[in-house]
Amino acid sequence: MDEARTWDRRGFLTRIGLFGAAGAGGLLAAPAAAAPREPIEDVVGLLRPVLDELARDTMTGLSVFVCPGPDAHSVAQGTRRSEPGAVEAGTPRFLLDALNKFMPLPDELLRPAVAALVTALSDAGVHLPILDGLPNVVATLDKALAKLLQNNATVPLPVVAAALLNLVATGVKPAAVAGPLGSPFSRLSFAEKATVFSVIEAPLPDLVAVLDVHLPQPLKASLSGLLKFLGGALLEFAAFGSYSEFAVFDPVRRKLIARPVGWTLSGYQPDGPVEGWDEFLGYYQGRQEVRG
Amino acid sequence: MRDVIVVGAGAGGPVVAKELAAKGLDVLVLEAGPRHADPRAEWTSFENDANNPLTGFLRLGPTDRTRPAWFRELPQNSFVWQVSGVGGTTQHFYGNYPRPYPGVFDDYTGPDAAAYDIQHRFPFGFRELLPYLEWVEATAPVATAAMGHKEQTFFRGCESLGLPVQTTKTTREASYRPQQNAVLQPHGTAGRSADTDLLHYPRATGCTFCGYCFQGCMRPVGAPRNQYAKRSTDNSYVPMALTADAWARGGKPSTLITDAYVTRIHAETRNGKLTASGVTWKDNTTETEHREDARVVVLAGGCVENPRLWLNSGLPNPNDWVGRGVTDHFLDWVVGVFDDPVGNPKGVGSAARADFPSKGGLENVGVPPALHAFAMNFSDSGIHGHYANGRGPVGPWDGPAGRLTGPMLKDLMSGRLENLLSVVVLTDDDVQPENRVVRSGLPLGDEHGPVPKVQMWGRKRTRRTLENREFLARRAAEVIRGAGAKRVYRIDWAPLLLHIQSSMRMGGSERDSVLDSDAQSRAVRGLYIADTSALANALGGPNPTLTTQALATRTAEKIFAEHFGGDPWVYADNPVVSTDPRITVRLGQLGL
Ligand SMILES: Cc1cc2nc3c(=O)[nH]c(=O)nc-3n(C[C@H](O)[C@H](O)[C@H](O)COP(=O)(O)OP(=O)(O)OC[C@H]3O[C@@H](n4cnc5c(N)ncnc54)[C@H](O)[C@@H]3O)c2cc1C
Repeated sequence: MDEARTWDRRGFLTRIGLFGAAGAGGLLAAPAAAAPREPIEDVVGLLRPVLDELARDTMTGLSVFVCPGPDAHSVAQGTRRSEPGAVEAGTPRFLLDALNKFMPLPDELLRPAVAALVTALSDAGVHLPILDGLPNVVATLDKALAKLLQNNATVPLPVVAAALLNLVATGVKPAAVAGPLGSPFSRLSFAEKATVFSVIEAPLPDLVAVLDVHLPQPLKASLSGLLKFLGGALLEFAAFGSYSEFAVFDPVRRKLIARPVGWTLSGYQPDGPVEGWDEFLGYYQGRQEVRG
Repeated sequence: MRDVIVVGAGAGGPVVAKELAAKGLDVLVLEAGPRHADPRAEWTSFENDANNPLTGFLRLGPTDRTRPAWFRELPQNSFVWQVSGVGGTTQHFYGNYPRPYPGVFDDYTGPDAAAYDIQHRFPFGFRELLPYLEWVEATAPVATAAMGHKEQTFFRGCESLGLPVQTTKTTREASYRPQQNAVLQPHGTAGRSADTDLLHYPRATGCTFCGYCFQGCMRPVGAPRNQYAKRSTDNSYVPMALTADAWARGGKPSTLITDAYVTRIHAETRNGKLTASGVTWKDNTTETEHREDARVVVLAGGCVENPRLWLNSGLPNPNDWVGRGVTDHFLDWVVGVFDDPVGNPKGVGSAARADFPSKGGLENVGVPPALHAFAMNFSDSGIHGHYANGRGPVGPWDGPAGRLTGPMLKDLMSGRLENLLSVVVLTDDDVQPENRVVRSGLPLGDEHGPVPKVQMWGRKRTRRTLENREFLARRAAEVIRGAGAKRVYRIDWAPLLLHIQSSMRMGGSERDSVLDSDAQSRAVRGLYIADTSALANALGGPNPTLTTQALATRTAEKIFAEHFGGDPWVYADNPVVSTDPRITVRLGQLGL
C-alpha cells in the first residue's frame, strides 16, 4: 500500500491539465516560473486565473457533451450541430456558478482525496508522452499550488470537478494532455468523454478502497460517495442549465431579454410566456365525481 | 409559554396548526424558510429562476437568495428535492391526492395481504383513517381531475392494456383513472383560452392549464391567495391557520414566524418521564437566537431534517431507528416519443394514473424543457449507447435503460417537447433500515449544526422492491406504446427523492419505530411528529401528502385529547373548505 501511495506530482499536475493551461496562460514564460528562486507568491498570483480558465474550459467540454452545438468544443468531440447548443445557452457559466454555490471543498478533505485519486489512477499504467521533456517549472507550479491551497481553507468546487474530469480523461487518452483547446477533457471525442463518466460512476474498487481508507467513520463512504454524486450531478445540471432560461434572464426586471436557446431547441412556449392554455378536454368518460 | 409549537410549514405542520387553532389553542409555527407573501411580485414561472436547487426562489435555503442553500450530504448518485418556506415542498408538488392502499394497514385481510411490506404496517386500520382522509379531501378540496391531451394519450394506452377503470376513491384492484387532485377545477375562461387578457380572476377560476406546477402556483392572475388553483399549503392550510377566528367558532389565529430555523428541541424530566418543553430557533436574517416554551412540540421539518434536529438536540434514540427506514417509492422515468403533439407540458402536472396494489403505481407527468432534460440525464444505468454502469435493464423499451444525452437528447427534444409523454414509476418499496438519515461527518456544518447525510441504496433494495419496480417500468412502457409512441426509453433513475417517507416512522413494535400509534415519540412525551416522516411505510406507492395530512389531522385530535382534555371532532363536525369566502375576506383584511 505504501508503495502505491507514492506518486508523481509532475504527472498529476500535467494530468489535471494545469501544465497545459499554465503554458497557454503564459505562466510558464513568467520570470517567476523561469527562475525558481523568485518569490513563489508571484506564481501563486498568476496561478489563480489559470486555474479558473482551466475550470471554464473543462466545463465547456462537459456542457457540449450534454448539448452539442456549432462551437469549437463540439467540433473537437466530433458532434458538430448547426443549431445552437450549450455554449450559446451559457451552460459553462451556469455550471461554474452552480459548482461555486454548491459547496467549497475543505482542504482537509481534499488532500486525502487527491492523494487517493492519484495513487489509484497512476497505477493504471498511463504513459504521458510529453512528461519526459517537461522543464523544471513543474516543480515551481507544484509549490505554487501547494501554497495556494495552504492560503485558502477551501478549494473551489469547479477546480476540483475540472481536475477530476481531466485526470480521468488522461487515463482514457494519455495524448489528451496536450493539443488544441484548454483542457484534456475537452480534447476527447464524445465516446471518450462517455468513458470518463463510466470510470467516475463506477470507480475502480481500488480507488474506492483508497478513498475511504483515509477517513474514519462517519466519513466512511463520504468521498467515494461524493465522487459518484458529482459524476451524476455534473450531467444533470448541464442538462438542466442548457434547456433553461439562465443566459437570457434579467433578474432585476424578472423578464427574458431574448428567447432561451433551450426553448428554441425544444419548441417550448412558441409565442413566449403564457398564463394558461386552451387545453381543457373535459372529463374522462364524463365523470366529474367519484365516491367510496 | 405557548400551547403548541409546530416546527416547519410544509405539507404536514400547517395541518396540525390549522386544526388546533380552530380549537382555540395558542399555536406558534416556526418556518426556517421564506414566506412568499406576494408571489406576483417575487416569482416568475421560469425554470431556473424558480427551480434551481441552489439559487431558485423555490429551494432549501433562507429568504436571501445571495446566501447559500442548506447543504445535505448525498454519498451516492442521487438527489433530494425539498423546498423551504411557507408551503414547504408542496410549493413544487403536483397536488395528486390518491388514497393509500388499504393493504398497508393492520386491519387488511384481502387475499393479497402477504404481498405488502407486512413487517412495517400502520399500527391501526384503514377504516380508522378513512374519516380523516375524507376530512382532508373536503378541506383541500380534492376533485376528479380534468383531461388534457397528455391524459387522453395516457388513457388510450391504459385502454390498450385492457385494465379496468377505477370509479371509486379507494383503490382495490389494478386499474387506471383520472387523478384525484388537490387542484381547483377550471371554470370560466380557465383551460379554454390561451389569451392572457382573458385569464384574470374571476373571469377565470381554478386551473388555467399553464403547466407551471413545479414553479409554484399563482394562478389565475388576481385571485386571492386561497383561490389559487394548486392547493399547496401556502394556499390552503396556512391561510386557514392564520384566519382561524374568521371561520371557526372560538378559533385563535396561529402565529407564523418565517426565516426561523429551529436548532434544538428541549426536553426535561417531569413526573419521571422525559418531556418536551420547547425549542431554540435562530433568525436567519438577524442571526439572533430565541427560545420558546410550549406544552406540546410538533416536529414537521420533513424526512431529512427531523432526524438531524433530533440527533443535534441529543434526544434519546434507544432502538437506533431515528432516521432509519426511509422510503422513496424508488422512482423511475419512462418516456415515449410520438409523431404528433400529446400536450406536454400543458395542463396540471399530472392528471392521470394507474394503480397496481401491492406493487405501486404509474402517473403521467408534464414537465417543461429544463426539468425534462434533467429527468432524462438522471440515471444509474450510465449513458444510452455507451455504457450501462453495470445495469442497463432491457424490456419493452428501446435499447438498454440509461441517460439520453448529447446528440440523442437534442434529437429527442428537437422541437418536440410537446410530443413527449413521460410516466413516473411509483414503487411500493419496503422499509429498509439501511436507507437512512445520519449526521454528516464532513466538516461542512452550517450555522445550524452538523448537516444531514442521506444514505439511499440504489441497488441493494429488497427483492420485493426491485421486482415491483421492474413490473411497473414494463407496464409504463406498455402503456406508452399502447398509446402509439414510436420510441420508448427507460431512464432507470438513481434515487430521486421527491416522495420521502417514514424516516421517523410510527409502528406497532417498539423495536423498529420511533413513534407510537398516536404519532407521539416513544422516548419523549409531548413530542409529536406530523409530516411524511411519521408514516409507517411507503403507503404502497400512492403520493404521500393526502395520507400525511389525514394522519396529521388525527394527531391533532390526539394532542387535543391527551394534553388539553378536549374531544375529537372529525367524527362529529363538518370540515370547512379552504376556499371559504370568510378566509378570503380575512386574508384581505390582514393584507395577505
Ligand atoms: C416535484 C415534486 C412533486 C410532488 N408532487 C406530489 C404530489 O402530486 N402529491 C403528493 O402527495 N406529494 C407530492 N410531492 C411530495 C410532497 O411535496 C412531499 O411529500 C411533502 O411536501 C412533504 O411534506 P413534509 O411536511 O414532510 O415536508 P416539507 O413539505 O418539505 O416541509 C418541511 C418544512 O419544514 C421546514 N423546516 C425544516 N427544518 C426546519 C427547522 N429546523 N426549523 C424550522 N423549519 C424547518 C422546511 O423549510 C419546510 O418548509 C412532490 C414533491 C416534489 C418535489
